[in-house]
Amino acid sequence: MMVYLTAFALIMLGIAGMLFRRNLLKIIMALSVADSGAYLLLIAIGYRSGGTAPILTGYEGGPMVDPLPQALVLTAIVIGVCVLIMAVSLVVNVYRHYGTLDVSELRRLRG
Amino acid sequence: MTRTFSRIVETVADFFLIFIIVFGIYIITHGHLTPGGGFQGGVVLAAGILLLLVAHGFSFARKIPEELLSDLEAIGGIAFILLASLGFGQSFFYNILWHEKLAFAEQVGRFFSGGAIPLMNLSVGLKVVAGITSGMFALSLFGGEES
Amino acid sequence: MNTIRSILAVSALLVILFTFILISFNPGYGLFSFGHPEEKSWRIALYKYYIENGANLSGGANIVTDIVFDLRGYDTLGEATVLFTAIAGALALLRRGGAK
Repeated sequence: MMVYLTAFALIMLGIAGMLFRRNLLKIIMALSVADSGAYLLLIAIGYRSGGTAPILTGYEGGPMVDPLPQALVLTAIVIGVCVLIMAVSLVVNVYRHYGTLDVSELRRLRG
Repeated sequence: MTRTFSRIVETVADFFLIFIIVFGIYIITHGHLTPGGGFQGGVVLAAGILLLLVAHGFSFARKIPEELLSDLEAIGGIAFILLASLGFGQSFFYNILWHEKLAFAEQVGRFFSGGAIPLMNLSVGLKVVAGITSGMFALSLFGGEES
Repeated sequence: MNTIRSILAVSALLVILFTFILISFNPGYGLFSFGHPEEKSWRIALYKYYIENGANLSGGANIVTDIVFDLRGYDTLGEATVLFTAIAGALALLRRGGAK
Protein backbone atom coordinates (compact mmCIF):
# COMPACT_ATOMS: atom_id res chain seq x y z
CA MET A 1 0.00 0.00 0.00
CA MET A 2 2.89 2.32 0.69
CA VAL A 3 4.17 1.42 -2.76
CA TYR A 4 1.21 3.08 -4.44
CA LEU A 5 1.72 6.23 -2.42
CA THR A 6 5.43 6.26 -3.23
CA ALA A 7 4.73 5.79 -6.92
CA PHE A 8 2.25 8.65 -7.02
CA ALA A 9 4.56 10.83 -4.96
CA LEU A 10 7.29 10.18 -7.53
CA ILE A 11 4.99 10.97 -10.45
CA MET A 12 3.73 14.19 -8.86
CA LEU A 13 7.26 15.19 -7.93
CA GLY A 14 8.37 14.64 -11.49
CA ILE A 15 5.51 16.61 -13.01
CA ALA A 16 5.96 19.45 -10.54
CA GLY A 17 9.65 19.52 -11.36
CA MET A 18 8.92 19.57 -15.08
CA LEU A 19 6.56 22.50 -14.63
CA PHE A 20 8.39 24.64 -12.10
CA ARG A 21 12.04 24.25 -13.06
CA ARG A 22 13.52 26.47 -15.74
CA ASN A 23 16.72 24.61 -16.49
CA LEU A 24 16.34 22.15 -19.36
CA LEU A 25 18.60 19.53 -17.79
CA LYS A 26 16.57 19.65 -14.60
CA ILE A 27 13.41 19.21 -16.65
CA ILE A 28 14.91 16.05 -18.13
CA MET A 29 15.82 14.81 -14.66
CA ALA A 30 12.24 15.41 -13.54
CA LEU A 31 10.99 13.48 -16.58
CA SER A 32 13.17 10.57 -15.53
CA VAL A 33 11.81 10.71 -11.97
CA ALA A 34 8.22 10.64 -13.27
CA ASP A 35 9.18 7.65 -15.44
CA SER A 36 10.40 5.80 -12.36
CA GLY A 37 7.11 6.48 -10.63
CA ALA A 38 5.19 4.98 -13.53
CA TYR A 39 7.36 1.84 -13.52
CA LEU A 40 6.87 1.44 -9.78
CA LEU A 41 3.10 1.84 -10.12
CA LEU A 42 2.84 -0.79 -12.86
CA ILE A 43 4.97 -3.29 -10.96
CA ALA A 44 2.93 -2.69 -7.81
CA ILE A 45 -0.33 -3.32 -9.67
CA GLY A 46 0.99 -6.71 -10.74
CA TYR A 47 1.95 -7.81 -7.25
CA ARG A 48 0.31 -10.69 -5.45
CA SER A 49 0.98 -11.15 -1.76
CA GLY A 50 3.57 -13.80 -1.06
CA GLY A 51 4.32 -14.17 -4.74
CA THR A 52 7.61 -15.26 -6.23
CA ALA A 53 9.16 -14.32 -9.53
CA PRO A 54 7.33 -15.78 -12.56
CA ILE A 55 10.16 -18.15 -13.44
CA LEU A 56 9.82 -21.93 -13.55
CA THR A 57 13.52 -22.63 -12.87
CA GLY A 58 13.68 -23.68 -9.24
CA TYR A 59 10.00 -23.05 -8.69
CA GLU A 60 8.73 -24.52 -5.41
CA GLY A 61 5.03 -23.79 -5.48
CA GLY A 62 3.14 -20.83 -4.15
CA PRO A 63 1.68 -17.88 -6.00
CA MET A 64 3.55 -16.01 -8.69
CA VAL A 65 3.37 -12.29 -9.39
CA ASP A 66 1.80 -11.12 -12.63
CA PRO A 67 4.35 -11.40 -15.46
CA LEU A 68 2.57 -9.07 -17.88
CA PRO A 69 3.29 -5.72 -16.15
CA GLN A 70 6.89 -6.79 -15.73
CA ALA A 71 7.23 -7.39 -19.46
CA LEU A 72 5.60 -4.07 -20.26
CA VAL A 73 7.80 -2.22 -17.76
CA LEU A 74 10.83 -3.84 -19.35
CA THR A 75 9.73 -2.33 -22.64
CA ALA A 76 9.02 1.00 -21.00
CA ILE A 77 12.46 1.21 -19.38
CA VAL A 78 14.24 0.85 -22.70
CA ILE A 79 11.97 3.42 -24.29
CA GLY A 80 12.65 5.73 -21.35
CA VAL A 81 16.38 5.41 -22.00
CA CYS A 82 15.78 6.21 -25.68
CA VAL A 83 13.79 9.30 -24.79
CA LEU A 84 16.54 10.34 -22.39
CA ILE A 85 19.26 10.01 -25.04
CA MET A 86 17.20 11.94 -27.59
CA ALA A 87 16.30 14.70 -25.11
CA VAL A 88 19.88 15.12 -23.91
CA SER A 89 21.18 15.41 -27.45
CA LEU A 90 18.52 18.03 -28.22
CA VAL A 91 19.51 19.96 -25.08
CA VAL A 92 23.17 19.80 -26.07
CA ASN A 93 22.28 21.31 -29.41
CA VAL A 94 20.11 23.96 -27.75
CA TYR A 95 22.99 24.99 -25.54
CA ARG A 96 25.32 25.10 -28.48
CA HIS A 97 22.93 27.27 -30.46
CA TYR A 98 21.62 29.66 -27.79
CA GLY A 99 24.32 29.56 -25.15
CA THR A 100 21.84 29.07 -22.33
CA LEU A 101 19.65 26.36 -20.81
CA ASP A 102 16.99 28.66 -19.36
CA VAL A 103 13.59 27.96 -20.87
CA SER A 104 12.40 31.54 -20.66
CA GLU A 105 15.47 32.74 -22.57
CA LEU A 106 14.67 30.49 -25.50
CA ARG A 107 11.55 32.28 -26.64
CA ARG A 108 13.10 34.62 -29.14
CA LEU A 109 14.18 33.33 -32.49
CA ARG A 110 17.75 33.73 -33.49
CA GLY A 111 19.26 33.25 -36.90
CA MET B 1 41.33 15.28 -21.83
CA THR B 2 43.84 12.60 -22.64
CA ARG B 3 44.27 11.17 -19.14
CA THR B 4 41.56 11.87 -16.61
CA PHE B 5 42.48 9.40 -13.87
CA SER B 6 45.64 7.80 -12.61
CA ARG B 7 47.05 4.51 -13.83
CA ILE B 8 45.60 2.72 -10.78
CA VAL B 9 42.06 3.58 -11.78
CA GLU B 10 42.69 2.46 -15.34
CA THR B 11 44.13 -0.89 -14.25
CA VAL B 12 41.32 -1.60 -11.80
CA ALA B 13 38.73 -0.69 -14.43
CA ASP B 14 40.37 -3.03 -16.94
CA PHE B 15 40.39 -5.80 -14.36
CA PHE B 16 36.73 -5.47 -13.43
CA LEU B 17 35.67 -5.12 -17.04
CA ILE B 18 36.29 -8.86 -17.50
CA PHE B 19 33.79 -9.75 -14.79
CA ILE B 20 31.23 -7.28 -16.07
CA ILE B 21 31.46 -8.71 -19.57
CA VAL B 22 31.18 -12.30 -18.34
CA PHE B 23 28.18 -11.36 -16.21
CA GLY B 24 26.49 -9.58 -19.10
CA ILE B 25 27.03 -12.53 -21.45
CA TYR B 26 25.65 -14.86 -18.79
CA ILE B 27 22.55 -12.72 -18.41
CA ILE B 28 22.00 -12.65 -22.16
CA THR B 29 22.52 -16.34 -22.83
CA HIS B 30 20.50 -17.55 -19.83
CA GLY B 31 17.68 -15.10 -20.44
CA HIS B 32 15.11 -17.83 -20.97
CA LEU B 33 15.93 -19.66 -17.74
CA THR B 34 16.82 -17.13 -15.08
CA PRO B 35 15.98 -13.46 -14.54
CA GLY B 36 17.43 -11.44 -17.34
CA GLY B 37 17.30 -11.29 -21.09
CA GLY B 38 18.61 -9.41 -24.03
CA PHE B 39 17.83 -5.90 -22.85
CA GLN B 40 19.15 -6.30 -19.33
CA GLY B 41 22.35 -8.05 -20.38
CA GLY B 42 22.90 -5.52 -23.12
CA VAL B 43 22.61 -2.68 -20.65
CA VAL B 44 25.07 -4.43 -18.32
CA LEU B 45 27.60 -4.76 -21.16
CA ALA B 46 27.04 -1.12 -22.10
CA ALA B 47 27.69 -0.16 -18.47
CA GLY B 48 31.00 -2.03 -18.67
CA ILE B 49 31.95 -0.06 -21.75
CA LEU B 50 30.90 3.13 -19.94
CA LEU B 51 33.28 2.21 -17.10
CA LEU B 52 36.06 1.85 -19.65
CA LEU B 53 35.11 5.20 -21.17
CA VAL B 54 35.14 7.02 -17.82
CA ALA B 55 38.40 5.45 -16.68
CA HIS B 56 40.36 6.01 -19.88
CA GLY B 57 39.09 9.46 -20.74
CA PHE B 58 36.65 10.46 -23.41
CA SER B 59 39.22 10.35 -26.19
CA PHE B 60 39.09 6.56 -25.82
CA ALA B 61 35.82 6.65 -27.74
CA ARG B 62 37.63 7.76 -30.88
CA LYS B 63 39.51 4.47 -31.07
CA ILE B 64 36.37 2.43 -31.68
CA PRO B 65 35.14 2.88 -35.25
CA GLU B 66 31.55 3.96 -35.69
CA GLU B 67 31.09 1.54 -38.57
CA LEU B 68 31.61 -1.43 -36.26
CA LEU B 69 28.85 -0.33 -33.90
CA SER B 70 26.55 0.47 -36.77
CA ASP B 71 27.13 -2.94 -38.35
CA LEU B 72 26.53 -4.71 -35.03
CA GLU B 73 23.23 -2.93 -34.51
CA ALA B 74 22.14 -3.70 -38.07
CA ILE B 75 23.03 -7.38 -37.66
CA GLY B 76 21.04 -7.54 -34.42
CA GLY B 77 17.95 -5.96 -35.92
CA ILE B 78 18.03 -8.04 -39.09
CA ALA B 79 18.54 -11.26 -37.12
CA PHE B 80 15.60 -10.39 -34.87
CA ILE B 81 13.27 -9.83 -37.80
CA LEU B 82 14.49 -12.95 -39.62
CA LEU B 83 13.93 -15.06 -36.51
CA ALA B 84 10.48 -13.58 -36.12
CA SER B 85 9.59 -14.26 -39.74
CA LEU B 86 10.67 -17.91 -39.57
CA GLY B 87 7.16 -18.87 -38.59
CA PHE B 88 5.39 -17.24 -41.48
CA GLY B 89 3.47 -20.43 -42.17
CA GLN B 90 1.46 -19.76 -39.04
CA SER B 91 1.98 -16.12 -38.20
CA PHE B 92 4.64 -13.57 -37.58
CA PHE B 93 6.47 -14.32 -34.29
CA TYR B 94 5.26 -17.93 -34.34
CA ASN B 95 7.91 -19.91 -32.48
CA ILE B 96 8.32 -22.62 -35.09
CA LEU B 97 11.66 -23.87 -33.75
CA TRP B 98 9.95 -24.86 -30.52
CA HIS B 99 6.61 -26.09 -31.81
CA GLU B 100 8.05 -28.23 -34.60
CA LYS B 101 11.00 -29.41 -32.45
CA LEU B 102 13.55 -28.22 -34.99
CA ALA B 103 16.25 -26.75 -32.75
CA PHE B 104 16.58 -25.63 -29.15
CA ALA B 105 13.75 -28.00 -28.41
CA GLU B 106 14.72 -29.89 -25.27
CA GLN B 107 12.32 -29.89 -22.35
CA VAL B 108 11.50 -26.69 -20.52
CA GLY B 109 14.23 -25.73 -18.11
CA ARG B 110 17.20 -27.11 -20.08
CA PHE B 111 19.64 -24.69 -21.68
CA PHE B 112 18.79 -25.69 -25.27
CA SER B 113 15.10 -24.98 -24.93
CA GLY B 114 12.85 -22.17 -25.92
CA GLY B 115 13.10 -22.33 -29.69
CA ALA B 116 13.86 -18.91 -31.08
CA ILE B 117 13.87 -17.17 -27.70
CA PRO B 118 17.62 -17.58 -26.87
CA LEU B 119 18.54 -16.52 -30.40
CA MET B 120 16.25 -13.50 -30.13
CA ASN B 121 17.89 -12.71 -26.78
CA LEU B 122 21.29 -12.77 -28.47
CA SER B 123 20.23 -10.53 -31.33
CA VAL B 124 18.45 -8.03 -29.11
CA GLY B 125 21.41 -8.00 -26.73
CA LEU B 126 23.74 -7.19 -29.64
CA LYS B 127 21.41 -4.44 -30.76
CA VAL B 128 21.11 -2.86 -27.32
CA VAL B 129 24.88 -2.99 -26.71
CA ALA B 130 25.65 -1.34 -30.03
CA GLY B 131 22.87 1.24 -29.72
CA ILE B 132 23.53 2.44 -26.19
CA THR B 133 27.30 2.38 -26.70
CA SER B 134 27.08 4.51 -29.83
CA GLY B 135 24.74 6.91 -28.02
CA MET B 136 27.20 7.26 -25.16
CA PHE B 137 30.10 7.74 -27.55
CA ALA B 138 28.24 10.41 -29.47
CA LEU B 139 27.39 12.27 -26.27
CA SER B 140 30.93 12.04 -24.94
CA LEU B 141 32.64 13.00 -28.18
CA PHE B 142 30.46 16.03 -28.81
CA GLY B 143 32.23 19.36 -28.83
CA GLY B 144 35.70 17.93 -28.61
CA GLU B 145 36.43 18.38 -32.27
CA GLU B 146 36.31 22.07 -32.97
CA SER B 147 37.70 23.52 -29.73
CA MET C 1 2.73 34.17 -18.58
CA ASN C 2 3.30 33.07 -15.02
CA THR C 3 -0.41 32.74 -14.27
CA ILE C 4 -0.91 30.45 -17.30
CA ARG C 5 1.99 28.37 -16.13
CA SER C 6 0.60 28.10 -12.63
CA ILE C 7 -2.82 27.12 -13.92
CA LEU C 8 -1.24 24.46 -16.11
CA ALA C 9 0.78 23.15 -13.21
CA VAL C 10 -2.13 22.97 -10.82
CA SER C 11 -4.37 21.30 -13.39
CA ALA C 12 -1.72 18.71 -14.24
CA LEU C 13 -1.27 17.88 -10.59
CA LEU C 14 -5.05 17.65 -10.20
CA VAL C 15 -5.21 15.20 -13.11
CA ILE C 16 -2.56 13.05 -11.48
CA LEU C 17 -4.46 13.16 -8.20
CA PHE C 18 -7.67 12.16 -9.96
CA THR C 19 -5.91 9.21 -11.58
CA PHE C 20 -4.58 8.22 -8.20
CA ILE C 21 -8.07 8.20 -6.70
CA LEU C 22 -9.42 6.30 -9.71
CA ILE C 23 -6.76 3.61 -9.45
CA SER C 24 -6.73 3.30 -5.70
CA PHE C 25 -10.47 2.63 -5.41
CA ASN C 26 -10.58 0.03 -8.17
CA PRO C 27 -11.68 -3.26 -6.60
CA GLY C 28 -9.55 -5.31 -8.96
CA TYR C 29 -6.10 -3.99 -8.21
CA GLY C 30 -6.62 -0.93 -6.04
CA LEU C 31 -4.98 0.42 -2.94
CA PHE C 32 -7.13 -1.55 -0.53
CA SER C 33 -6.78 -4.88 -2.30
CA PHE C 34 -3.02 -4.59 -2.75
CA GLY C 35 -1.67 -8.07 -3.28
CA HIS C 36 -5.11 -9.68 -3.11
CA PRO C 37 -6.79 -8.95 -6.43
CA GLU C 38 -10.33 -10.23 -6.84
CA GLU C 39 -10.50 -13.67 -8.38
CA LYS C 40 -13.24 -12.71 -10.81
CA SER C 41 -11.50 -9.81 -12.49
CA TRP C 42 -10.31 -10.06 -16.10
CA ARG C 43 -6.73 -9.49 -15.01
CA ILE C 44 -6.68 -12.72 -13.03
CA ALA C 45 -7.90 -14.72 -16.02
CA LEU C 46 -5.06 -13.38 -18.18
CA TYR C 47 -2.60 -13.91 -15.35
CA LYS C 48 -3.61 -17.54 -14.89
CA TYR C 49 -3.42 -18.16 -18.62
CA TYR C 50 0.10 -16.78 -18.82
CA ILE C 51 1.30 -18.61 -15.73
CA GLU C 52 -0.13 -21.99 -16.73
CA ASN C 53 0.47 -22.00 -20.48
CA GLY C 54 3.36 -19.62 -21.01
CA ALA C 55 6.09 -22.25 -20.80
CA ASN C 56 4.29 -24.68 -23.11
CA LEU C 57 3.42 -22.00 -25.64
CA SER C 58 6.92 -20.69 -26.13
CA GLY C 59 9.32 -23.00 -24.38
CA GLY C 60 11.19 -20.73 -22.01
CA ALA C 61 11.19 -21.21 -18.27
CA ASN C 62 11.23 -17.46 -17.70
CA ILE C 63 7.67 -16.37 -18.35
CA VAL C 64 8.58 -12.70 -18.62
CA THR C 65 10.93 -13.54 -21.48
CA ASP C 66 8.24 -15.67 -23.07
CA ILE C 67 5.84 -12.74 -23.03
CA VAL C 68 8.42 -10.25 -24.27
CA PHE C 69 9.77 -12.31 -27.15
CA ASP C 70 6.95 -14.59 -28.16
CA LEU C 71 3.46 -13.86 -26.92
CA ARG C 72 3.81 -10.10 -27.28
CA GLY C 73 6.55 -9.98 -29.84
CA TYR C 74 5.11 -7.00 -31.67
CA ASP C 75 5.79 -4.86 -28.61
CA THR C 76 9.42 -5.84 -28.76
CA LEU C 77 9.59 -5.16 -32.47
CA GLY C 78 8.23 -1.67 -31.95
CA GLU C 79 10.59 -1.15 -29.08
CA ALA C 80 13.56 -2.15 -31.22
CA THR C 81 12.35 0.33 -33.82
CA VAL C 82 12.12 3.06 -31.19
CA LEU C 83 15.63 2.25 -29.97
CA PHE C 84 17.03 2.37 -33.49
CA THR C 85 15.23 5.62 -34.32
CA ALA C 86 16.29 7.34 -31.11
CA ILE C 87 19.93 6.36 -31.55
CA ALA C 88 19.87 7.43 -35.19
CA GLY C 89 18.31 10.78 -34.23
CA ALA C 90 20.83 11.35 -31.45
CA LEU C 91 23.74 10.50 -33.74
CA ALA C 92 22.38 12.80 -36.44
CA LEU C 93 22.04 15.63 -33.93
CA LEU C 94 25.43 15.08 -32.34
CA ARG C 95 27.54 14.38 -35.37
CA ARG C 96 30.53 16.53 -36.13
CA GLY C 97 29.28 20.04 -36.72
CA GLY C 98 25.90 19.45 -35.13
CA ALA C 99 22.58 20.70 -36.42
CA LYS C 100 23.13 23.90 -38.35
